[in-house]
Amino acid sequence: MDLRPADRDELAGMLRAATAEGRVLDIRGSGLHARRGHPFTADDVLHATGLTRVVDYVPEDMTITVEGGVTVGEVLRLAGERGQGWPQAPSQPAATVGGVLAAAAGGRRRLRFGPIRDSLLEVVVATGDGRIVKGGGRTVKSVTGYDLPRLLTGSLGTLGVIVQATLRLWPLPMAERWFTTRGDADEMLDLAQGVLADLHRPTAVVAGPTSLHVCLTGVPDDVVAPAGMVDAFEPGGPGAGTVGSPAGTVEASVPPAALPALARQLVADGFDYEAWMGTGICRARVSAPEDVQAVRGMATAHHGHAQVIDGDDAMRTDPFGPLPAGADIMQRIRASFDPAGILCPGRFAAADPVPA
Amino acid sequence: MTTTAGALADQLRHLLGPDRLLEGDLARNLYSHDGSIVGGDCGIVALPETTDEVAACMRMAHEAGVDVVPRGSGTGLTGGAVPLEGGLVISLARMRAMGEVDVANSCMWVQPGVLNLDVSTAIAHLGLHYAPDPSSQQACSIGGNVGTNAGGPHCLAYGVTVQHVLGVEMVRPDGQVVVLGGVAPDPPGYDLRGVVVGAEGTVGVVTRVLLRLTPLPPDVRTMLLDFLSVSDASAVVQAVIAAGVIPAALEMMDRNMAMAVEEFVHAGLPTDAAALLLVEVDGTPAEVETATAVVEHVAREHGVRTVRVAQDEEERALLWKARKTAFGAVARVKPSYYLHDCVVPRTRLVEIMEAIGEITEREGVMCLNVFHAGDGNLHPIIALDRSDPDETARAMSAGDQIVRACVAMGGTLSGEHGIGVEKRDYMPLVFDHDDLEAQACVRRAFDPDGRMNPDKVLPTGTRCGEVGLADTQVPEGTWI
Repeated sequence: MDLRPADRDELAGMLRAATAEGRVLDIRGSGLHARRGHPFTADDVLHATGLTRVVDYVPEDMTITVEGGVTVGEVLRLAGERGQGWPQAPSQPAATVGGVLAAAAGGRRRLRFGPIRDSLLEVVVATGDGRIVKGGGRTVKSVTGYDLPRLLTGSLGTLGVIVQATLRLWPLPMAERWFTTRGDADEMLDLAQGVLADLHRPTAVVAGPTSLHVCLTGVPDDVVAPAGMVDAFEPGGPGAGTVGSPAGTVEASVPPAALPALARQLVADGFDYEAWMGTGICRARVSAPEDVQAVRGMATAHHGHAQVIDGDDAMRTDPFGPLPAGADIMQRIRASFDPAGILCPGRFAAADPVPA
Repeated sequence: MTTTAGALADQLRHLLGPDRLLEGDLARNLYSHDGSIVGGDCGIVALPETTDEVAACMRMAHEAGVDVVPRGSGTGLTGGAVPLEGGLVISLARMRAMGEVDVANSCMWVQPGVLNLDVSTAIAHLGLHYAPDPSSQQACSIGGNVGTNAGGPHCLAYGVTVQHVLGVEMVRPDGQVVVLGGVAPDPPGYDLRGVVVGAEGTVGVVTRVLLRLTPLPPDVRTMLLDFLSVSDASAVVQAVIAAGVIPAALEMMDRNMAMAVEEFVHAGLPTDAAALLLVEVDGTPAEVETATAVVEHVAREHGVRTVRVAQDEEERALLWKARKTAFGAVARVKPSYYLHDCVVPRTRLVEIMEAIGEITEREGVMCLNVFHAGDGNLHPIIALDRSDPDETARAMSAGDQIVRACVAMGGTLSGEHGIGVEKRDYMPLVFDHDDLEAQACVRRAFDPDGRMNPDKVLPTGTRCGEVGLADTQVPEGTWI
């Protein structure tokens, strides 16, 4: 059954009922990040897309408070009208704010502006048993209590449904442009390392097997094409040059300095990829379940890890790889936020209650 | 001392030797205080030097069922490091080793007792620095910074401690050592690293910290602006940011503070101005040029009297010294001070400054203001003589009213100092019962027995309910 609450009270009521009846829910925003984590079976799908209210926007404070179902595109549109932006946002206008936060799916400007979790000031969630819990604060700086915003960011819907978020916005830069060039992977990686070494705080340096895309932000004098690059005319990453017909995407994370070596291994084994140079993050397209282990093996060899961020069920038999320390802590946190275990159970299996 | 505590002391003495287990009255008195006006009751003090020693101390405390209070330099201003009912204080002050700088990945591991400023000093020759710079950075430790998620003037553009800590090694309450986070970003699972930073020592003892290091900006310019009214200065703060410029730092000082500081530092601060703004812009030369022009233009539109641009590194250092020694300068006015750390939305700066003026005037106490205006992070300092009970009572009352006024304007209790014990009972002003209970559950997930820095952060009586935790057998009153 599809549940489509119109507001947070109705949503909380549905969660209370599901907890009481032991009905398992899948939590969805736009669905763009639904193929993350272990596959699991749900009795009902709760669509949080009906929570579309813009609660408060104070341009002078550069904070916007929106409900979880508001789209990234809507936030950017409203902010843009006042000369502001959400630079950590992913380039998916249809994605919901709640969804991108739950998936910790930030965008390519991470090199300069940091991960998306840094942009979340206050969060309101509906817990599995329908309590409404707020954490953080709407001011740009706050150390008042435990950092629930960071805990919820990337929790994949297993701790609660993000019903409201206060985001920190930034002024739109005086100038921003993407530059590009084409060549083989080695050339692109060398060029990328040159850009990182020569320029002060580039906004994004995205390398693919056959192209390089660089985003620069700032005053017009600084936003000029790096040597060997030309205007890209449209924002983005390599995009084109897809190898074969990939069925999924693995996000490998390694120490930033190891990224060129990882990318060279990927290209040698025929993987298409998008390396976010300087951040340590590399998205590799994969076509078969064994590819996941192959990419993870390369990342692990560089002291990193790899997660499947998109893929069919077969691709997600082991979406996370070995988990870091603290699984018992995660289990207890999850048990307190979702006592009946109705929120996407199995999706992040390591935090599910251990059977007695 | 109870038998259990006595046995624990014997074990710790055996582990650390008599020099690194402090039991005397002098030490116990010293460790019953921090930079705040909170006084506590210290049992014994352990001074471990390695992670293994901390882990051994924690295992012993766990077996003895004794409370543990971790402590850095003790410069905190909210009583976070003050033991309230005996127990074991673990001081990390002797853990001062810095690892090798990982230049390629711009990071380094340090032990928690390393002082904040020593990090930037040690890596300056590599063109790097550690961005969070609390005013106490010559004295405060990285471990304490992690505990309180410390800030500082440059957090306006660069972000607070949690944005500069890639990972932590932590000894859990049962003595187990875990590493959370790391050089490779975004490990799978919940962001426990993000919870540990700012948890004020209530979830474990951090024994190593992986710091993100930031390139020194190619160019920097520091300006001192002075105004004849606080509201003009506040308006400039608002207008600079509205014009699309996020300065590296944007600090305000009122007249009382400027007078106290000038007597102390002789930086040439205009003491007849109502408010001073210290503005620093950094970046590429073109960015700095543009931002400087915007700041000057906006300031002139709002009646700035003079714009003083630091001409060289020496003058810049002097202006920053004036800012960062402000708290020390208060000692020339009164022997003690009571400081708050509330935050208001930037748009409410003028209102809150007026409110603070009215409150302190009504209570007949002297208030000096120096704060991170760009963040809306206030630091009203009420100067007092604590030997005068009447003045102390009026200072407390004024502080209470200031906190409530900030919250009423949509603000919060702390921007960078933390909650500790001093702001603990104000938490219900900003969080309701369910919010606080959820926080208590997060805390208990790390510390099921409730022995880590008890009675801090959450108001007494806040419990993690019985939700979902079948294995809870916590005795009444153990958990707060």
